[in-house]
This record gives sequence, structure tokens and C-alpha cells, in this order.
Amino acid sequence: MAYVAARGGEQAIAAAEELHTTLNGPLSAMLVRSIERHLPYLVDRVMGEGSLYAPDLAALALAQTGGDLYEAVLLLRAYRSTQPRIAYALPVRQSELRTVRRISAAFKDIPGGQILGPSLDYSHRLLRLDVLEGQEAGSGRQEAGSGRQEAESGRQEAGSGRQEAGGKEAGRRTQEEAGWLPSSELEVTDSSPRVLVQSPAASSLPSAACPLPPVSCLLPPPTLPAVADWQRENGLLAQLPERDPCDPSALPDVTREPISFPAPRAHRLQSLARADTGGVLALGYASMRGYGMSHPTVNELRLGYAEVTLRHPVTGIAFSAGRVRVSQAEIVDTGAGAPGDTPLRLGFTATIGWNEVKTIAGAMLDLEMSAPNPHPAHQEEFVLYHTEPVESSGFCIHYKLPHYVTFGSALDNLRKAAKTGETP
Amino acid sequence: MTLADLAHPRQDYSYGFLDAFARRELRRRILKAIAIPGYQVPYASRELPIARGWGTGGLQATLSVVGPQDVVKVIDQGADDSVNAANLRRFIARMTGVETTTDTTKATIIQSRHRIPEERMDKGQLLVLQVPDPEPLRHVQPDSSQAREMHADADYAQMWLSLYEQLVRFGRFMQGASYPVIVNGRYLMSPSPIPRWDTPALHQSAHLTILSAGREKRLYAVPPFTDVRPIEFSDVFFQVEDQAGRVCTLTGAGQKYMDELPQPGGESRFRISDTGYVEKLLKMAQGEPTKIGPTYYDDAGQFWMPGVIKVGA
Repeated sequence: MAYVAARGGEQAIAAAEELHTTLNGPLSAMLVRSIERHLPYLVDRVMGEGSLYAPDLAALALAQTGGDLYEAVLLLRAYRSTQPRIAYALPVRQSELRTVRRISAAFKDIPGGQILGPSLDYSHRLLRLDVLEGQEAGSGRQEAGSGRQEAESGRQEAGSGRQEAGGKEAGRRTQEEAGWLPSSELEVTDSSPRVLVQSPAASSLPSAACPLPPVSCLLPPPTLPAVADWQRENGLLAQLPERDPCDPSALPDVTREPISFPAPRAHRLQSLARADTGGVLALGYASMRGYGMSHPTVNELRLGYAEVTLRHPVTGIAFSAGRVRVSQAEIVDTGAGAPGDTPLRLGFTATIGWNEVKTIAGAMLDLEMSAPNPHPAHQEEFVLYHTEPVESSGFCIHYKLPHYVTFGSALDNLRKAAKTGETP
Repeated sequence: MTLADLAHPRQDYSYGFLDAFARRELRRRILKAIAIPGYQVPYASRELPIARGWGTGGLQATLSVVGPQDVVKVIDQGADDSVNAANLRRFIARMTGVETTTDTTKATIIQSRHRIPEERMDKGQLLVLQVPDPEPLRHVQPDSSQAREMHADADYAQMWLSLYEQLVRFGRFMQGASYPVIVNGRYLMSPSPIPRWDTPALHQSAHLTILSAGREKRLYAVPPFTDVRPIEFSDVFFQVEDQAGRVCTLTGAGQKYMDELPQPGGESRFRISDTGYVEKLLKMAQGEPTKIGPTYYDDAGQFWMPGVIKVGA
């Protein structure tokens, strides 16, 4: 009986999967490429929470799950667990990031300039209904009166900011710079003569995002000094420790050892980098809205590319294995600290992929978690455990599993207690 | 001879899915857990292709110890045929090629969610229990760092207090499944959420039990022949779920842990929760040769080892 029934269970699983596949349509390499190319922010979010930089795999995960984010993240994480760790990249400094967007809310102007970069921040959030009628949205810049135009002018600004920064540093940009983008990474398309394409991350810069003259497009995004460095020079922020960041392979790794509290700083930042965007936002928003710091300020927000630099195992020579999209946010707390503290304290979150909401909220939570007596919802253990996307979503959906043994066990008690109440 | 002949056949995943480092870590943690009965050993807990909270802890323990000679049984709520059990069994078999069974006595490894089989497990067998929440102190101390300190100090006063409060408010202990136990006279342990009916089966058992929580990244163990005592007072005792008067509609048997099936009209029917055991009873009723092992509870509802479940008060 049970043997047949066991097979029944397996047949039910197969049938359920098949129905899901039927409803979602067939998987194809073209669909995956299309997701990777046209939904870069979604791909970034999945890569960040999946803690695996692999745009094609993230796109595949999205296609395979029909866009169910938590399922896609789980797919990527499960794949990640099968991969051995073969090398450790060298640390990346903020001032080495190829930055496409960098803003500071703390100062009107900062060394290196404010760069609006690719952003919808100042776009009018109007649905482009004309697209449904067959209009091409990519040509929005030429179309009068469209919300897209606003966005485009934002990009124009960004472009000029970038150009300006480029101009300032032009002297230092020589041969080395010219080789930054190998010709194989330049893609020629019909719509735009030259597009800044940087595989595999390139798809995040749509062709229209490059209003600069073609030659400028060939230049890499600028590297910019960190606002925090200026603040450190001026005694506003605590100095960094003298020594270099240690051997990366000796850093505590939250994917290879369990977290315990108080967590090493590396564990905290790794956990935030992998955290659920929505979860971090919910807890971070609680802090912003009134359960936390009085005066957080976005010190610096950056989107850019980080060089993944490895050392050759034999020669020891450092070389670049590629570039990854990264984002990071620094928040400073201007509320009064303890006596003897520097005037400002810094909260930080970085993640792979471009995800502004998560890094801003995460940086606020980083500050909160370090505060002397944080709100219970902002204690380190509370924040880090409950913003784990795979664990929280997995546990939530596990309640769909049968619980009739435990439920029956509880009923046994409740019935007897009720009986005791009836006949004292 | 070609290069292809010499190369290993293509393998997308390691044997047992986990890579060698993960397996080594898990085995070391398991050894530590066995050495300190009932103590929660933290481990890294890799993500598996199964949702977190769906048995990934048990699965990691199973996958780290399973070998080609093993025979694996997987149950959920006592049932081999539930979709979740079927799915885990399918995954283990797919990643290792091991033989699977629904027969408790034939299995070398039994991975289970929420139940211990009715037939007594024996020497050399391994029971892997999936654990959602490894922390028995959670409802008195949700902060795990502080709970760890309480374990270190064997400070379980709040548990005794909550037990007493239940007695005062309800006239009985209200803990359902996952009834807390003291292991080897030292650590308070949450025996996964097995029903109280199964709790005594852990005491002085001949088999090894590993309890593993993948999401919470903790595993712990009850080595063979170790004391496992439910917390109770000297005058008010731990009680198992009452199965008296419940008759299995499939087999006509009683005094086993039953699933209650509500019927239209307000009545209930009952079925033995352990489907592997039911399978054997049915076979025997049809006159097929079947070997049924000794069970934890006899037909009168007596636990096999006298004195473990106290009566009176």
C-alpha cells in the first residue's frame, strides 16, 4: 500500500512541476539572455541576495522560477554551495571603484563631484502607455513631453558630470586607460554607434544611457576619492586602523562558519550584503521613521564596477579576473555620540549588483546595531537572523507542510485541559 | 585509448551533493555532538536545492554520513508517501544512488520529520531528525546568545517555572510535541517536534540519533544508551498523548500514534501515522510473509522499557 502511495507522492511532485512549467512557458537560452540584458536591476538583486556574481545564472534562475524572487535566490545559493572556493580576491578600496553614480547628501559638492549617473530618481513615474501601442521607448529622448525625457536629461547631467571628472583626471589617463576596455568588450549595435559594453555586466548600461560623444564612451568610469576620507582628514570620523586589511583568506566567512553574536564585523557586513532587500528595508525604515537614530545622513552612495584582482598562484603577480557591479552606501550619524567620540559615526553596507535601497537601509542598520542600546528590532542578532532571505522565506513556506502530528499532540493537551476545566 | 576513456565520467555534482569540505565539517561537528550529548553544535549549514526549513538540516546530516552500502528510509509525519518525504528520498537517492526502503527494520538511516517509527530501532541504525528550532529555551529566552549562556550554566530555572505555570493555569503540562528533555543529566534539549508519544524512545536507545537544524545552523545528538529524561516534577509526571480507544481504520490496530481524520457530522476516524508499519500489518493480514519488529508500545499501550513513563499522581 505505502509503496504504491509513495510512488503516488512522487508522481504528484512530477505533475505539479510540469503544470508550473506549462503555465510559465518554455525555458530557452534566448529568454535567459533577454532577462540578463533587459532586467539588470532584477538580476542584480538576485545576485546580491544569492551572494553569487553570475548574471547569466541569476537570469536563468529567474527564468526557471517564473520570476519568483525567493525561489530564484535559493536556486543561486544552492548552486553556490556546490562551488569550491578556489581563490580570494584582493581587497577593493572605495577610491578604486570605477564609479558611474556617486552622490553625497552631506555636502553640496565633494572632491570628484556629484555624479547622478543612471537613475530614475528624478523621472516622472508615468507609465509609458504609448509603448503598448507600439512606440519604441528607447527613443524617448527625441520624444517631447514624455516622462522618459526627464530621465534622459538626468542621464545627460550624469554624463556631463562624468565628463567633467574625466577631464580633471585626463592627465593621468594614458596608456593604461586606453587598455581598460578591450575591443572585444565593445559592442556595436544599430541604435547607437558605440556603447559602453562590458561583459558580462554590460547589459546594465542600456544604449541610451550613453549620451556622451563616442570617444568619451571609451573611457572607463572615473575613480573618485571617498567622502569619508576627507572627513577623516578633518577629524570628523574615526581614523582607519594603520595596517592593511589582513589576508583575505583569513577573514571570517559567514558561508563557511556559523554566525554567533556579537558577530565579527566581517560576518555582519557579509550578512548585510546577502540580506533580503525587503527585510533590510523594513527594519531600516523602522529606524528611519522613528525607532532609531535622530539624524542619519547619506554620506555617500555609489554604484560602480569593482575590479576582481587575484594573485597568480605561482608567480604571485596580481591580475584582473574581471569586473563586477557593486553598490555601497555610507550613512553618518550626526546625533551626539558619547563624550570623547569623533563627531560622526559611520554605517556601511555594500553588496554585489546595484541595489540602492538595500545599501542605504543596511548602512543605517549597521549604525543602529553598533549603538549602545538599540531598539530590540535593531539588535545585531535580530537584524541579521531575520533578514536572511533564504532562511526566512524557506521557514515561512514550510508552514505549508503537514503538521498533523504536532497539531494532534497539541489537541491532546487542549482537550484534556478543557475537560479538567469542566469537572473541577 | 583516448583521453575520454581515461577521464572520469562527467559528474555535475559531488557524491551526496555536498563538497568534500562541507562533508568533513559536518562529520566533525557530528562527532563533537556525539561527544557532548544534547549540546547544540553550530555548523556552517550549506544551502541545498531544497527550501530552507524543509529538512535541509536533516538532509545535510544524512548526506554527510551516507555511503553506497546504506539503505535509507525517509518519513514525514510518520508517512513514507507524503510529498515532502518522497521528495527528500528522491533527492538522496538521486545524489547517492542508495537503496531506499519503507521498512524501518531494513533501513540503516532513517531521516524523519516529526516522528520516530513504531518499530524499535536497533543497534547500528541511525535516526536523523529534522529540526526547525533547536533551542528548547526559545520561548523563555528568544535571544540565542543569552540562551547559550543559560545552557553553559545549566540554568534552566525558567523552564521549570514555565512548567509550573502551566500546571497552575491548566492543571497539566501543556507542551505538545517537542517536549523538552534533559540529556545525559546535563543539557536541556528539544527533541525536534516529535510527539510526546515518541520521546521515551530516545531514552537508552540502542540507535544513534542526530538532530539537525539547517536554517538555525545547529546540530546535536543522542548517542546510543544515553539517558533522555523529559522534564517533570517528582509528583506530577510527563504524559504521552492518549491513544486509548482509537482504532486504526486500515488495520484495526490500536495503541499506536494515530492521525485523526475529521469526518462530516463531527466524528473522527483514526489511522496509524507510521505508514511503513501499516504496510506490514496489512501484508500480514493478507497472509503474506512479513517480519514485524518489536514495537515501542505493546497492544495495551505499555512502553517496552518499564519505568520510563511514570504512572500515578
